Amino acid sequence: MRAHRRFLAALIVWTAAAPAARAAAQVSTATMSAGVSPLAKLTLSAASASFPDADPDAVPQIPALGGPVLITAKSRSTSGTQVVLTVQAADDLRSGVSVIPAANITWTATGGGFVSGTLSKAAPVTVATWTGSGVRTGSQQLYFRNLWTHPTGIYTVSLLYTLSAP
Amino acid sequence: MNGAGRACVVAAALAVAGSARPSGQGRGGGAQLDLSVSPASISFASADPDVSPVIAAAPVVVNVRVRQNAGPWTLTVLAGGDLIAGPATVDITNVSWIATPAPPYRNGTLSKTVAQQLASGTGNVNPAQNGSVTFRLANSWNYSAGNYTQTLVFTLSAP
Repeated sequence: MRAHRRFLAALIVWTAAAPAARAAAQVSTATMSAGVSPLAKLTLSAASASFPDADPDAVPQIPALGGPVLITAKSRSTSGTQVVLTVQAADDLRSGVSVIPAANITWTATGGGFVSGTLSKAAPVTVATWTGSGVRTGSQQLYFRNLWTHPTGIYTVSLLYTLSAP
Repeated sequence: MNGAGRACVVAAALAVAGSARPSGQGRGGGAQLDLSVSPASISFASADPDVSPVIAAAPVVVNVRVRQNAGPWTLTVLAGGDLIAGPATVDITNVSWIATPAPPYRNGTLSKTVAQQLASGTGNVNPAQNGSVTFRLANSWNYSAGNYTQTLVFTLSAP
C-alpha cells in the first residue's frame, strides 16, 4: 500500500514536468478609438457673378456671365442625417435709391441633390440636400429676370451660401 | 495524467487573464512568453481630410520577452471588427501601422478576419525588447460623424 502511494506520486511529478504538446501563447488587448467630428467645407468656382445689359424682349432671362458656378460641398455628418446647402440674399438688388427685388434672380442646377430655385432676402433657399457624409459636386446657373420696368443702373447684392452638416 | 490535466487548466487560465489586461505571461510548450502593450488605448483625433489625409495615433510600445524557446515565435494583431459608432462603421482596413525596429517588426494593415503578423523571430528575446507601433487611420470625408471604437488583440505565440 505504501509502495503503491510512492509510485502514484512519482507518476504525477513526471507528467507535470513533461513538455505539453500545446503551443505557448500570450494575449494582450488594446482599445482603438477614433473621433470623427461634424465638418463642412464649401467651395464655389467664382466669388462673383454679373449679368450684362440686354433687351428684355430679346433676352427675358439673362444668364450670368462666365456660365454656371461650380459648387463642391464636402461634409461629415451623423449617420442618416441631412446635409443642406442654402443661399440667401443679403438684401434686394440696389443701385442708389433704385431697387430690384432679389426674387428676380433665379437658377437652374445640375448634379445629384441640387435643385432649381428663386433667390430670397427673407429666408435661405435650398440649393441642394444630401443624406450623410461625402463629397458632392454640382453647378448653379444664375439668371436675372429682365423687365422693361427695371430702373436703369448698376445693381449689386451679396449672396450668402451656407452648408450645414449636423 | 491528473498532473497533466492540471497543467493544461493553469495555462488556459493564464491566457484568459492575459486577454483582459494589457500585459501578462504565458507558458505552454516549453516557451515562456511575456507580452505587454502600452498604452492600452489607441486614439485618433478628428481632423479635416483635406489637411490630414492620414491621422497618426500616439506610438504604442510593445514589450516582448521570449524564454526557453528554440523555435520560431510570432506576434500578431487582430481587430475584433470594424471601427463602430452606433450604426456607422469605418472599415478596419483603413487602419495601418508602421513598426520599428525592423526586423523583427514589420508594417501592415489591420484585419478583422485574419491575424496580421506584427513581428516574428527565432529563439529567445531575453532580456525583453521594446517595439514601437504607430497606427495610422486613412482619413475620409465619407466617414460619418461619431466616436468609433474597436478592440485589438495582440497575440505572442511560440508554436
